[in-house]
Amino acid sequence: MSGLKFPVTGIGIISACGNNINETLISFQSLKRNGKKVSLFDSKIDCPVFEVNLKTSYKNMRTLDLALEAVKQAVEESKLLEVRENYRIGVCIGTTIASQLNDINFYREYRKSGEAPIDSVNRYLNSNLADAISKYYNFDGPKCTVANACSSGTDAIGIGLSWLKADMCDIVICGGADELNIVPLSGFFSLGVMSDELCKPFDKNRKGLNLGEGAGIIVIEKEEISKKRNMKSKFYVNGYGLSCDAYHLTAPRPDGSGLSKAILKALEEAEIKPEDISFINAHGTSTIDNDKTEGLVFKNLFGGKIDFLSTKGYTGHTLGAAGGIEAVFTILGLKEGWIPASIGFENIDETIGLEPTRERREVKGKYALSTSLAFGGNNSALIFSRE
Amino acid sequence: MNVKGVGILFNRGKGIEKLENSLLKGFALPENGYYKISQELFCDELILKNMRRADDFSKLVAIAAIDAFKDAQLDETDKEDLGIIFATSFGPHPTTFKFLDDIISFGEKEASPTTFSHSVHNAAVSYVSNLIQNRGPTITITQFVESFYQALILAKSWLTEKRCKNILVGAADQYGEVMNYICNKKLKLAKDGKIKPFSFKKNPDVVPGEGAVFLLISSEEPVKYCKIEIGSDTKKDFVDLCIVDTDGMSGNEEFYLSLKEKYPLFASYTPIFGSMLTSMAFSLVTGILMLKNQKTYSVPVEENPHNIPLCNKTESKGINSIACIKYNCEGKQMKILLSKQ
Repeated sequence: MSGLKFPVTGIGIISACGNNINETLISFQSLKRNGKKVSLFDSKIDCPVFEVNLKTSYKNMRTLDLALEAVKQAVEESKLLEVRENYRIGVCIGTTIASQLNDINFYREYRKSGEAPIDSVNRYLNSNLADAISKYYNFDGPKCTVANACSSGTDAIGIGLSWLKADMCDIVICGGADELNIVPLSGFFSLGVMSDELCKPFDKNRKGLNLGEGAGIIVIEKEEISKKRNMKSKFYVNGYGLSCDAYHLTAPRPDGSGLSKAILKALEEAEIKPEDISFINAHGTSTIDNDKTEGLVFKNLFGGKIDFLSTKGYTGHTLGAAGGIEAVFTILGLKEGWIPASIGFENIDETIGLEPTRERREVKGKYALSTSLAFGGNNSALIFSRE
Repeated sequence: MNVKGVGILFNRGKGIEKLENSLLKGFALPENGYYKISQELFCDELILKNMRRADDFSKLVAIAAIDAFKDAQLDETDKEDLGIIFATSFGPHPTTFKFLDDIISFGEKEASPTTFSHSVHNAAVSYVSNLIQNRGPTITITQFVESFYQALILAKSWLTEKRCKNILVGAADQYGEVMNYICNKKLKLAKDGKIKPFSFKKNPDVVPGEGAVFLLISSEEPVKYCKIEIGSDTKKDFVDLCIVDTDGMSGNEEFYLSLKEKYPLFASYTPIFGSMLTSMAFSLVTGILMLKNQKTYSVPVEENPHNIPLCNKTESKGINSIACIKYNCEGKQMKILLSKQ
């Protein structure tokens, strides 16, 4: 192994396919899909969504509650509470919803009378993810809440890597979190990219995305710190690439050159070649444009036989959380030695010419790639590895 | 980090020359108790013709960013991998509320897709990338009062790891009716329309404002404006001037009293711009202008109950370094050092 190598010493996950790693693996094995009509708030939009069965409420914004659930798992595995006073611990979390003051009940009241209770504003102000998590654990490193739309979670991990490389801190808690909310539900419906049935990533008959919610968090650190702490991690983050399409506010550049650039940068950082990648956890939202662009890029860079999957069929599109959740799924694939079927996929789309995993597949190599695309033309890629 | 380009749009106009002009003219009372950028100032036709559907927040950001980009006069070869880091405390909240208006008035199935796509925090820099046609890393972050400071930390990280050589780092926040209501509920709006930056009170006065600042910073020589150092790098204790970023938005400003004995001269220019959680970017640009021109500008509001040594003269002066200091709500200090070389 060469190039960058930052040990992953803790992971945490909560999504519609499980509130922890064990539940997630059971969902992957049993091909379980929890998509149904939204129940968290009243809605006339009759498209399936993927909700989390959140058992604990800390009376924060739901996004922060989700984040804290995942962070707790990761912090526990990484044994950070025992050493937090000895190291500079940064927190970098991606989100979309927690960055916006968009409480519709507050605004409805304000619109009606010019007055509204300020408690929902306080909840928003107290729920800046990086700030709240830093305070919750009394960490003393840099903190950054990334609002880079649907690549936010991936970019948060990438920023964590940059901080470690530039010696801004020793350890980073990073990933993404987002809740299901009426604003993106209405917004994606208005854009005409939501499916009224369960999503079918990369399928010829895909009709669009399903929204979801959740959080995925990883703890990464400098290798020397990990050794000093006697953490015996066998999994690493090796590279990150980020590029901008400079093309369109909501659609990816059709030739995929932006995504290619991000992937090539991540490969360069990891000092590996495309043929070293054993599988790709694709963004795979199940929209016409996204899947076509990703498929084109995978075929061009990795050839027609690369193993790739979309896990959106299990979780829905969790927006700012997606990159964090899928980073955890990618690490789980390397750890468990298998990746699940790309659920929802049935028929090959000849315009893409590639098919994702139809069934559970053994992971043979060392390296895996996770990709994210976003509004604004962002393309992000992370490379993970095992010993 | 070297500053190669500066862009600014604020309530009195666009560009660093307009900023100097405003500093020379001094304090001006806001018209309605807040500083809002008038529509006439969104006047760059070359930029705006390519973003006709954009909201004001995106226009605000694009005008300041392109201003800094042009100022830096980068080679065409450096453009491709130019990075962008944009920090905002609240993002395009008027656009978000407009989208909520749609949902409430017409139902969630009838909301505007254009409004939705502009309500996302990073829509603004998407326009900037489109205008510049850069394909490098582009990030939007939000960290309330620490937004711009954290953006600089990330910029330093990217330059150190050589992710890019040149980065547009900026900050923007927008005024809005709902935000004014929230400021009124949570903070103390100034009855006389005046920010008093040296009151250092527990409950200081606020005059909401809006604006955008971008810097083009680079790892490469030569130094065009000045150098920037952040946080723990700022080992130099002796500086010619300390700009305190006090505008009431972070609440308690008593923390600043502890600085009184540490610096020879103090200034604050927040009354020119209005109160914003990203105001540190505006204070920093003022410091950059001073270093470039080797000139101090008299503070716009001189009320000085604690008798701290104030910069109350506009005059040519040899300035080597300026500290720009802000405290967050819990009293944690953020310090940026500007130096001539």
